[in-house]
This record gives sequence, structure tokens and C-alpha cells, in this order.
Amino acid sequence: MTEMAIRVDGLTKYYGGAGGTKALEDVDLGIGDCEFVSIIGPSGCGKSTLLRILAGLHGHDSGTATLFGEAVTAPRDDVGVVFQTSNLLPWLTVTRNLTLALEIRHGKAAAAAADVAAMIELLNLKGFEDKFPHELSGGMKHRVAIGQALMQNPRVLLMDEPFGALDALTRDRLNIELLRLWQRDRKTVVLITHSISEAVLLSDRVLVLSERPGRLIADIRIDLPRPRDPSTTRDLPAFGDHVVELSRIMGVV
Amino acid sequence: MAVQGEKRSNPLIAGAFFVALALIWEFSVRWFGVKAYLLPSLSDIGVAFWDARGLLLEHGLVTLGEVLSGFVAAAVLGVALAALIHVVPIARSTLYPMVIALQSIPKIGLAPLMVVWLGYGFGSKLVMAFLFAFFPIVIATLGGLAGVPANLEEHFRALGAGRWTMFRRLQVPAAMPNFMDGCKVAMPLAVIGAIVGEFVGSNNGLGNVILLATGSSQTALTFAALLAVTLLSLAMFYIVELVSKFIWWRAI
Repeated sequence: MTEMAIRVDGLTKYYGGAGGTKALEDVDLGIGDCEFVSIIGPSGCGKSTLLRILAGLHGHDSGTATLFGEAVTAPRDDVGVVFQTSNLLPWLTVTRNLTLALEIRHGKAAAAAADVAAMIELLNLKGFEDKFPHELSGGMKHRVAIGQALMQNPRVLLMDEPFGALDALTRDRLNIELLRLWQRDRKTVVLITHSISEAVLLSDRVLVLSERPGRLIADIRIDLPRPRDPSTTRDLPAFGDHVVELSRIMGVV
Repeated sequence: MAVQGEKRSNPLIAGAFFVALALIWEFSVRWFGVKAYLLPSLSDIGVAFWDARGLLLEHGLVTLGEVLSGFVAAAVLGVALAALIHVVPIARSTLYPMVIALQSIPKIGLAPLMVVWLGYGFGSKLVMAFLFAFFPIVIATLGGLAGVPANLEEHFRALGAGRWTMFRRLQVPAAMPNFMDGCKVAMPLAVIGAIVGEFVGSNNGLGNVILLATGSSQTALTFAALLAVTLLSLAMFYIVELVSKFIWWRAI
């Protein structure tokens, strides 16, 4: 058993304080170091709320949430968050956007010392170093957003439907990139998604949340061989089995 | 080739239109024998402008000085006040209503008071230009500061940014386009403010030239001075427009 990166015990959260709408109910989960875990669930089930609690952006009403044994009370320097919107600053170039997180967390010197060229290479953004966000396609913006989070070299990467707003083709391409990046760095990743096939393709484990209030209703280990690739992995019988199993749990089938 | 429905302005047609207007002015004044002290012909105004070029330049520079100082003061203090109102909750519930109330005062009515307080010289004109330019800048900047997208603020919070970092690195640049819009509104207003100040009491400036020329029935000179004010205002606006090209990012 690897060291636990994330532990959540009896986590309950109300919107608008106790007495308000219950968003999450008694959620227990553990995510190992270097594990890739997806959380899926119907819209409004509180999965984004759960991610924001782990990111230190939202508080909670009862239970505990810990990262590497410490209670989460504020955003941490060793956690990178990627949101559904790419959140690039329109007045900064790709390079400056890539180093923005470093700059804000650790100052200008850290940003200047960062190896942007390697990240540009990794993200296939060569030639776009000095472009501004409005000159990029949607998929490229999201690559920069992920790059910004990776530049901080976080121990944990929290991703809230990072490709949710993109078309299927772009989404597939970014999934390939994400797989490649993860297989290289092996960070702890928590991915919020509403796509079952995306969750199965990428994850070591898929956690399923119920309708609101969100409760953990399934914890499925995905034992597909790695390295994975969308074109071949999706043809494996086990891939289809997992998708069917998860669809059944979510009541889609 | 313009696609059907695409709006194009044809510079030829625009040019022809204005030439026609000028010709109508020029010749109708002559044909109908309009008295020159009522409406001089365009060519008379042109001649008056050329003859008075030294005078107009001298007084134009005075007005320009008043406009620029009033505008810069309005920009600096306007941004400072907007930032204060945005950041300090007490300022929002005290200063903001006061700004709105002051904004509602007809500023033209303050001009005689400014002359009483600050005299016939530069000071009262600066303050008038300032008063006219100040509020649009405050309101526009406040709108920009308040309109920073929530997702970007959350992103900054996730990066552990404190309030100062958030303000400096996110809210200020995000509000820049709004600030520039405020400046575009404020610049012509600053010119109006300075002219109003000169009307009420002054020894020089283009407003003073207009008053004296009208008083002595030199209507062509009045028009020439008006032309000078217009050119001044256009030039100032164009400079703001040029500067705002550097703030090219728009709503995010």
C-alpha cells in the first residue's frame, strides 16, 4: 500500500451553512500517492465542491479532509488546480501565463528560473511562446492551463472537468497528452469528469458520487494495462466492461 | 468585395457629402446676404483662423495646460478613489454614495464658485476640468474592478494569492480597458470644463477668446476659436485613443 496522499473522512458540506442545501454527505475516500483517480457523478452531485474543499477553496461542515496527513485549511503550494475554464490572463503571453502560478507562489525569481522551453516542448506549443491567449485555440488554452499547473511541480493535481467545454476531438487529443504527462511524472491526480469513458481511459480508480447530496456509491479499480492509448485501450474488452459497469451504477443504462 | 449586409463606409461618399455641405454653407451665406456678424461664410472663418493663428495658438496652449492638468488629476485621483471604494468596505458605504451625489451636481453651476475661491487664473480652470473628468473615470474604473470574472479570482485564490497580489496582478490589469473607456469619455469633458471655467472668469484661454470675440461682434473669430477648441479636443481624444491601443485586451 502506497502512502495516502488524500484522505477524506465523514465529509459533509452544506451550501449556505448548516441547514442549507446538503451538497456532500458523509464522504469517505483515500487516494494513494501517485494514483490517478477520477470522480464521476451526475450534474450537481457535489463533485466540484469536493474538489474545491481539497483545494482549500471551500470549507466544510463536518468530517475531515487531509493532504499528506495535514488538514486542508487553505490552498497549498504543493497542489496544482486546473479548472474547467482555462483561466489564462489575456494580457500575458503563453510564456508568462505558464510561469504565472510559480510567480505568484514563489516570486519573480522562481518564474524567471523555470524551464519554460521544456514545458513548451512537452505541450507541443513550440512557436506559440509569445502569443496571447486570444490567439490560441480552445485546446491550446487548456494545454497552457495544465502546463501552468505542472510548472509548479505539484505533488497533487486537482482537475475540475478540465476539458468539459471542448469538442470531442480536441478532448481526445488532450486526454492523450494528459496520459503522456502523467505516465512521465506520476503525480497524484484527482480528475472530476462527467464522461465515463474518459474516467475509465485515464484512471487507476473511478469513484462514483450519487445525486445530491453527494455520497460515495462506488469505488471501481480500473486494471487496464499501462501505458494506455485511446485508440488501442478503448478496443480492449475490459474497457467496455468497465464502461458498462459504471454506466449501470450511474443509472445511464 | 463586400458581402451583402456587411456595413462599409465609403470614404468617397463621406468626402463628397462634407464638400457639398461646405459649398452650401459658403454660397447660401453669399446668395442670401446673411450678415457676417450672424453667420460668416466658411472662407471668412478660414481667413480669420489663419489671421488669428498666433493668438489662437497662444490661448490654445493655455487651455491645453488647463485641460491636461485637470485630466491628469482626475485620472490619478479617480483611480485612487475607485480603488479605495473597491477595497475598503467602509469607503463603499460612505464615499461611494457621496461620489454619486456629487456627480449629480450640475458642474457648470460650480464654475462661479471656483472663480470666487481660486481666482481668475489657472487654478479655477484646472478644477473645472478636473470636476468634469473625474466622475466618468471613477465610475468606469469601479465597474472594471467589480467586473473581474469570478473564475479568475478563484484561480488566483487557488494559487494562494493574497489581496494585494490579487489587486495588482489581476484586478488592476483587468480594469484597465474600463479605465481607458472612462478616459475617452472624460477627455472631451475636461475640455468643456476648462472652457466653462474660462467663460465664467478668465484673462486668457480659448474660452476667453470666444467671449471677447462674441462681445465685439467678431463672429468669424468666434468660429475660428470654436474650431481651435474642437481641434484641441479631437487631438486630445486621439491621444487617449492611441494610448488605449496599448491596453488591447478586452472582456475576458
